[in-house]
Amino acid sequence: MWLILIKLAWRNIFRNKRRTLIAATAIGIGLAALIFVDALMIGMSENMVRTATGSFLGDAQIHRAGFRDAQEVALTIQALDDVTEGLATEAIVEHFTQRVLAPSMITSPANVSAIALVGVNPQTEQFLSQIDDVITEGVYFEGDSSRDIVIGAKLAEILEIGLGDRVVVTVAQAESGDLSQEMFRISGIYHFAGEEMNSGMAFVRIEKAREMLAIGNAAHEIAIKFTSLAYSQDSTLPFWKTFSQHGNEALSWIELMSQLNAILEMTKVSKYIMGVILFGVVVFGIINTLFMSLYERMFEFGVLRAVGTRPFGMARVILFEAGALAIVSIGLGAILGFVLTAIFAHVGIDYTGIEMTGVTIQEFIRPVMTVEQFVIYPVWLFIFTIIAGLYPARYAAKMVPVDAMRRSF
Amino acid sequence: MEQVQKTEVIVTEGITKVYAADGIPVNALNGIDLTIQSGEFTAIVGPSGSGKTTFLNIISGLDSPTEGKVWLAGKVLSEMSGNELSDFRRDNIGFIFQAYNLIPVLTVEENVEYIMLLAGVPKAERHERVIAMLETVGLKGVADRTPTQLSGGQQQRVAIARAMVSEPTIILADEPTANLDSKTGADLLEMMHHLNLETGMTFIFSTHDPMVMESAQRLITLRDGRIDTDERK
Repeated sequence: MWLILIKLAWRNIFRNKRRTLIAATAIGIGLAALIFVDALMIGMSENMVRTATGSFLGDAQIHRAGFRDAQEVALTIQALDDVTEGLATEAIVEHFTQRVLAPSMITSPANVSAIALVGVNPQTEQFLSQIDDVITEGVYFEGDSSRDIVIGAKLAEILEIGLGDRVVVTVAQAESGDLSQEMFRISGIYHFAGEEMNSGMAFVRIEKAREMLAIGNAAHEIAIKFTSLAYSQDSTLPFWKTFSQHGNEALSWIELMSQLNAILEMTKVSKYIMGVILFGVVVFGIINTLFMSLYERMFEFGVLRAVGTRPFGMARVILFEAGALAIVSIGLGAILGFVLTAIFAHVGIDYTGIEMTGVTIQEFIRPVMTVEQFVIYPVWLFIFTIIAGLYPARYAAKMVPVDAMRRSF
Repeated sequence: MEQVQKTEVIVTEGITKVYAADGIPVNALNGIDLTIQSGEFTAIVGPSGSGKTTFLNIISGLDSPTEGKVWLAGKVLSEMSGNELSDFRRDNIGFIFQAYNLIPVLTVEENVEYIMLLAGVPKAERHERVIAMLETVGLKGVADRTPTQLSGGQQQRVAIARAMVSEPTIILADEPTANLDSKTGADLLEMMHHLNLETGMTFIFSTHDPMVMESAQRLITLRDGRIDTDERK
């Protein structure tokens, strides 16, 4: 019995090929749009997270609790040796680097600017940040001069200096608060897409920064790169507890850049809203198509009822037609979505230079296809289509045969 | 009157049907009492608006009377639920429509076996009965064709096969010859008459065709929703 009804439904939707094709294309475009938008958002999110974590932040960081709010140079990481030993043996940690951070003033013969002075270990820092990759003039800490300083192009412009010029950096020492000044020579100038890093930071060797701040072998920050970015999103990992001892705190990029995370969460919500709107449009399209088909074959439905098809049997015919329409639409939509996404994944979309929540997009955004897009959305569409078919199906089930046939006898 | 004799296939008692046309009540049937015995070859005739259509709709359970009762094969139609009525029509009534009304997306075989499918008849038996029935109505070798590939006369033969294949108690035929040329109509009528005699199945026609009236054993004339004449030949 099911087979004949399925056969009936499948053949019926191809009775008016043009209408079915138009309806299926419209529904398919909805599905393709959803697949593409989802792929685009995944691509954009990955791009932004990769930019944010890969530029300088790292996947996670360890600080002394309170340091991030107070930016107080005396708040160095506790039990630093234990922490670094622990990180060195942690399986999920691929690289880590220590940093010293201090609010400071940088002075040139022409100008002065407030910056964040960052003391880095060039050997380990290269795995955590991209500064060495974006050097446009000079070099990134080659040789062993402790007076090398690397600054951004914008800061160089503000200070009206160039490669080889001298600057003076002033910081307040940790314990005493006494001012400490050192002269540096510009050894490298970098150019990041982000304004903040271009104009508000300067990099020196970590040993020199420690000396200036009189903090011994201490560090303010340890930036960490995991073997997989996914670890940073897993708050259940014992890692976070292990490295949040001795008054320190281990935080993932999600907490470090909560604004970015909020934006990404918001894009997920907006994707769902868009999905609901698209499927809502699709639902009305399906209802319209099914009703048109139903009215066109009213007499036939009357005959089916007259010869003994039960009301539920009539409803099943309509639901099977809805299902058949969904299958055709899913086929079209999936192909269209795949082609569209594949093209843009290959070509990329140029949003470079655009800054969102402090993250400046540096690479072309390439939509990312996932298996879920071709499984979950089609399943949703199928379910929505069946739900949409319930209304015309109910109408068909309640149809009085004599009314449907009108001139039956 | 709750229990009818086995030979009384259809019994109607005081059938009245009132329609509201633009709010104005119209009496389509005015108290029809009628008994049709099994095996009868009956024609219901009358001018347009006499109530033929309404009467056939009511005795087949496609419509319900405003007043009165219909017994079909001993069952009161108005006491059945929607599903019971569907099953009852499937098992007891074969329909032949003026415009054939075959399902165009199904093949001839699928059209004919549809009612048996509803009744859950096994596939092998269905196939056997369909082939035998198509042979009976003179349509050997067309089982895989679709209705659009057949002539009007052939389509009506398929409709007759569909109506008879499940061996219902009665066959209700709405102007079965109206869309056919006189020769094809005569052939089909003869075939139905032959099947009536052979199987003892009850045939009730609604018709304007003198040929059908002539071949009917019983001629019931309706006028203004009432039985005007009831002749047995």
